[in-house]
Amino acid sequence: MSHNTIRCFLALLGAALTIAAAPVRSQMPAWEKELYEAAKKEKQFTVYSAHYNTETMANLCTAFDKKYPGVKCNFVRTTAQVAFQRFQQDLQANLAVASVFSSTDVGHFPDLKKRGVLLAYRPNNLSNMVDALKQYNDKDNFYWVTSAGLVVITYNNTLVSEKDAPKKWTDLLDPKWKGKVSIGHPAFSGYVGTWVVMMRKLYGWDYFEKLEKNQPQIGRSINDTVTMLNAKERWVAAGPDAGTLLSRDKGNPLSVSYPTDGALLMVSPTGIPKNAPAPNAGKLFVEFLLDKEAAEIQIKDRSQVVMKGIKPLPGAKAMDEIKTIRPTEDEITKGIPEVKEQFRDTFGV
Amino acid sequence: MNEGAARRAAAVAPSVAPSAFGHWWRHLDKSAWVWLLAIAVLLFLVVNPLLRLLLVSFQQPDTGAFTLANYAAAYSRSRYVDALANSLILGVSAASLCLVFGLPLAWALSRTDMPGKGLVWVSILGTFIIPPYLGAVGWILLAGPNAGWLNRLVVELTGMEKGPFNIYSMTGLVLVTACYSFPYVFVFTKSALDLVSSEMEDAANILGSGNLRTTLSITLPLVLPAILAAFILVFLEAIALFGSPALLALPGRFHVVTTQLWQFFEYPPKVSVAAAYSMPLLCITIFLFWLQRRITHRKGYVSLTGKGGERRPIPLGGWKWPMLGYCLFVCTLSFFMPMVVICQAALAKAWGRGFSLDNLTLDNLYFTAFENNLTRNATLNTFLYAGSAAVIAVALALCVAYIVNRQLVGKHVGNLLSFLTMAPFVIPGIVLAIGFYAAYTQPPLVLYGSAWILILAFATRFLPIAYANCNAAIRSINPELEDAVRILGGTRFTAIRRVVAPLLKRSLAGAFILVFIPGTRELSAAIFLTSINTQVLSVLLFDKSDEGNFEMLASIGLILVVITVVLILIGFRLMGRDFMLRRTAA
Repeated sequence: MSHNTIRCFLALLGAALTIAAAPVRSQMPAWEKELYEAAKKEKQFTVYSAHYNTETMANLCTAFDKKYPGVKCNFVRTTAQVAFQRFQQDLQANLAVASVFSSTDVGHFPDLKKRGVLLAYRPNNLSNMVDALKQYNDKDNFYWVTSAGLVVITYNNTLVSEKDAPKKWTDLLDPKWKGKVSIGHPAFSGYVGTWVVMMRKLYGWDYFEKLEKNQPQIGRSINDTVTMLNAKERWVAAGPDAGTLLSRDKGNPLSVSYPTDGALLMVSPTGIPKNAPAPNAGKLFVEFLLDKEAAEIQIKDRSQVVMKGIKPLPGAKAMDEIKTIRPTEDEITKGIPEVKEQFRDTFGV
Repeated sequence: MNEGAARRAAAVAPSVAPSAFGHWWRHLDKSAWVWLLAIAVLLFLVVNPLLRLLLVSFQQPDTGAFTLANYAAAYSRSRYVDALANSLILGVSAASLCLVFGLPLAWALSRTDMPGKGLVWVSILGTFIIPPYLGAVGWILLAGPNAGWLNRLVVELTGMEKGPFNIYSMTGLVLVTACYSFPYVFVFTKSALDLVSSEMEDAANILGSGNLRTTLSITLPLVLPAILAAFILVFLEAIALFGSPALLALPGRFHVVTTQLWQFFEYPPKVSVAAAYSMPLLCITIFLFWLQRRITHRKGYVSLTGKGGERRPIPLGGWKWPMLGYCLFVCTLSFFMPMVVICQAALAKAWGRGFSLDNLTLDNLYFTAFENNLTRNATLNTFLYAGSAAVIAVALALCVAYIVNRQLVGKHVGNLLSFLTMAPFVIPGIVLAIGFYAAYTQPPLVLYGSAWILILAFATRFLPIAYANCNAAIRSINPELEDAVRILGGTRFTAIRRVVAPLLKRSLAGAFILVFIPGTRELSAAIFLTSINTQVLSVLLFDKSDEGNFEMLASIGLILVVITVVLILIGFRLMGRDFMLRRTAA
């Protein structure tokens, strides 16, 4: 094949692809088309994320690549603290790597915002968001909720019947659960930290003094409770809805009970760094996270979907069907360091 | 050979120009360049991150000004100091238990005619490959106070109300830590024992001492440097471990250094306080080295003289069955029982449902091994990186051990080199990773995002293991062997290539495995340094444990164990596992 033939072939191929992609693109609103064109010039971008597990993150990137050919999605999925530390080091070294930063620790974002390292942007798809979540977006448009989860009461249903299962948080203090409760540690898990702050707000520290009398087992992460219930080492827990339901989907004997005094809502924001090497691709990805394709991927992962009108899989309730509670940002930021100390005084670790 | 060398020397001599430079050049020991290179690499890999760590511990996080506030923050509270004390207890107890587990097994496999050696050897290898936190989860299921299988068994058999075992205790943590660290003691001691000739034991026997006394007063003392090195390693490993303490100590309601250290990284991260908090670990290392030097000072441990040296297995007679029983007991604790749990989970649709035929599936394994790109690539990366890291670490360690033991540099420089090579082990992985990240993400050396940053981090992290092993091995070789080569006109390189390396073949293979295996399961640095295309299995394993997805966790763990065992068995076959080192120097 001569160079000309190859060039001709490539041109035809390009034309074919353009035609194939045309119907999709014609459905795109103007803002999206514009963003996509700009993102294509940037070719690729990197997401630092602590949301989701690695597979879901990979699925999201693949779906993005499929929806927006020509813009390659790369990701680094780690825990929140590692993601933050990496981002921090990048800033110090004047490295521009991440175009999207997603952390499960809400405390990271006000700090980054204050330091002026985030980019202001108002996603067009914000209108898709569940109303209850909108209040947790940054009012100055520096970060937005793109993922959510709940802390609920979980139990092993071969040991505890639905009738006997705790219905509200204070039920865990009942002496009949002595030696049978499992919880995580506020110093190792943001979910647990926020839960402890919330319980303290609702019932005072007394709640934990009483809980200690029931000798709860203290794990590290909130997901440790899933292992403890499956192993039958413990019967009931303050656990995550997603992790528990995922394990249940496999056939494990676990159930969730949405506490009548409120399931604790956890929101995980996403922001775009000001030094993003591909800011347009970053914006496009944030739009993507607030759209239907992303929601459908996350639903299989048992995450609470941030988009309106998407039904969760059986065994779970949608966010508008249940009562959710959440401390204010200020209460969380101030409260977590305090409860870590109190927790250590009460439980010894 | 003597004649040949002489003739060669005669042929070479007149051809060299008699200029001053030529004279100097001819007499210069060219191997010096290699030593200098080794030292440079050491500076690059160890000193740079270490220095950063030290600096950071004295710096104010924002301004970089000198301060002691970090130390005040790290030690002002009794609860932080308690954690330090707990770590010391854990380190000393776990290391001692490792000796109880490892020494008899090493002796039995190396020097006796005990049956079933292959089985024991493979189980120890398997033990070593199981990531400690996977083993810890296995042990939770075995000895959890409420529902542990062992406890339920005891309750069934005796009708007691509650089983006697509680894994959530210091005792439990020591047991689990020792189970997954004793292979260090085993490999170190065994490779040293493999080099001791039977003649020394024969001498003791002739003088009327029995086998037991000979072993205790002749054989074991001869391999004391290896035992001490292993003891130090497992002590350091025990205090640097994070996974098992996080799983066992927290429910047991106590902290150790690493669980405390982790908290300094919670938001807002206090890296400088963490650096200050890890300094005592560094001091402890220095102290241990000093102690090791005191104990082995001025004693001879040369067992490989090149003058004969037959190695015959000691006949155990009737004792061989109890010996085998003990070996299998240790392997049952560390390998067979946890493996049963891991296999159950890996082969279960839902492990919480327990054993039943309709709960069996190969899907988890199939998915992990074939369907999932992520795990497949990560598997390849894991072995590639661990292998490369092991080669680098062993080569560097061999160089340094040789430099230090043959006194090619001054005594103080030697001590310093030796310390530097061992130092990375006590730096908590996450702190080392931050040092690496800080040091190699900016020009002139941008390694971030490449496989090299992981390979170098693994090599650095496990350099101490390679070094301890190479050091013990080199000490056992009589320098006369090399002197002979040099007298006959060979260069130092010839001596190393033709004499030292072949003699150390097994020790070096041991060192390789000792770096390779921890490399495949390294987590704390990897979690920080992996990027999109450089995923490794340990990070995925951690994800799964973080998600509470025990079926996949166990599947990945099982695949890791099977592949590694097969790779190593093939490796041994290729290099001749039954190479008995008889009269090697002849």
